[in-house]
Amino acid sequence: MAVYETEVPGVGHKFELDLDRDRRVIVLIHHDGTRELYLRPDADSDSEKLFSLDDQRARQLGSILEGAHFQPIEAGDVEVPLGDGLIEWTEITADSPLVGQTLATTDIRERTGASVIAIQRDEQSIPNPGPETTVEAGDLLVTLGTRDEQHAVDEITDSN
Amino acid sequence: MMAPLLEVGIALTAIALAGALASRIGLSVIPAYIVVGVLVGPNPPTELFGVSLTLVAYGEFVEVVAELGVVFLLFFLGLEFSVGQLLADRERVLTIGAVDAVINGGLGLALGFLFGYSVIETLFLAGIVYISSSAVITKSLIDTGWVANPESRPILGTLVFEDIAIAVYLAVLAAVALGSGTPVEAAIDVGRAFAVLGVLGAVAWYGPSLVTRLFSTDSDELFVLRVIGVTTLIAGVALATGLSEAVAAFFVGMAFSETDLTDRIESVVGPAKDLFAAVFFFVIGVQTDVTLFAGVAGLLAVAVLVTTAGKLASGTLSGQVYGLSRTRSIRVGLGMVPRGEFSLVIAALATTVGTGALAAEIPAFAVGYVLVMSTLGTILIQESAWITDRVGT
Repeated sequence: MAVYETEVPGVGHKFELDLDRDRRVIVLIHHDGTRELYLRPDADSDSEKLFSLDDQRARQLGSILEGAHFQPIEAGDVEVPLGDGLIEWTEITADSPLVGQTLATTDIRERTGASVIAIQRDEQSIPNPGPETTVEAGDLLVTLGTRDEQHAVDEITDSN
Repeated sequence: MMAPLLEVGIALTAIALAGALASRIGLSVIPAYIVVGVLVGPNPPTELFGVSLTLVAYGEFVEVVAELGVVFLLFFLGLEFSVGQLLADRERVLTIGAVDAVINGGLGLALGFLFGYSVIETLFLAGIVYISSSAVITKSLIDTGWVANPESRPILGTLVFEDIAIAVYLAVLAAVALGSGTPVEAAIDVGRAFAVLGVLGAVAWYGPSLVTRLFSTDSDELFVLRVIGVTTLIAGVALATGLSEAVAAFFVGMAFSETDLTDRIESVVGPAKDLFAAVFFFVIGVQTDVTLFAGVAGLLAVAVLVTTAGKLASGTLSGQVYGLSRTRSIRVGLGMVPRGEFSLVIAALATTVGTGALAAEIPAFAVGYVLVMSTLGTILIQESAWITDRVGT
């Protein structure tokens, strides 16, 4: 679908997009970031100004139109492919058997095959935590391992 | 003698009031700045109901700020100049640009010779009546919403063509008018001007990454200082070597137009340009002796009629080239009527040359002409429905 772009000297850029056979939507982006939206009902009519948006609102509207979602990401859902390995975030609940233990005594690496590469605690994160680091309730364990190894991590961190 | 600070304060306040009043009644600010300049300047009217109105003399400081106005008007013209747009639609842009130049430039030449002016005076006159005002027109296009309509394409296309035309025209005119007389010397001056502009143009075309590197800084303060400093310096050097400072500034602007810095310049340097340009229009008013209008009244009346008709004709033809309906084609014509900043830049050049009719009559004509055409043009655009309804679709 053709989008026509024209420079408007002293003003900014104008983009035109055909909606269907008749209607065309026109976006004028000013240098100061203001966007003006016009709709031309058909080729013979004059364009009607619909509304104007400041830069931030225009970006928000743009994201919505684009189909991007604004929901915060669930910690448990995140999986980052890394060759065979995945990075997962596992929450340590208060009744987890790991609470209060050091990484050395939990022995996650030996028992599951996955390595703990970081611990996120409140706002702060502890990268590459040493064996003496204690696991606390509410921590997010960031572990690197294969899918099976990550399942094993889930099992030993769960209370039941 | 008034303290310079007080004088500048009066000038800026007067400009601010005039601008507020003009936008309140929906007219272009340019004629308002000129009129208020005439009112508070040293020329008549010098008093109103017994109160002295000679508040601002033509001092060195306002003179320099006004000159910066010319430099930055042309700098932004270069900055906003779209080589891409010219090339993308080159056949139609060149066609409508040529139609516009031949009809309106031709009418200007005819007027000059008809009223008995010399060749050089006629060339100035032709430039003043030919060149439309980008500032007034783009503002009107947005106010009316025409910017989103098909008629904006030939209007903007013609403006792009005129932008190049004015740069070349100013370069030639400055070289000829400031040069020392004989055709050979004039030709050498023109050649020298184009050689320097060629170098600036080559930097513009081949060195965007260099320009970007030189001007990259996180601080807006340092950025605006660099842009204004370098532009003013190059324009000053051009003037010192007998070239047009305005044209040099145009090419400096073009050098920036190929970089990613344009949006930042628009937002950071734009306000400085607006300030300088407003003072420029104001100073034009301060320098204008309205009693001289009487001497050019005949020329003024004929020029207003003939050149309004000229732009209407060339614009309507341009609309046809773009395959527009009759109503839209007429709008193209109406849209091109406003004259403004560039006519005054040409008049300012005439003033600096400063002999005979070029010193007094031509600048006075230009001011009167711009006052009428920027106001008339704005009104024609606003009231276009009335006109197009009567001419029919």
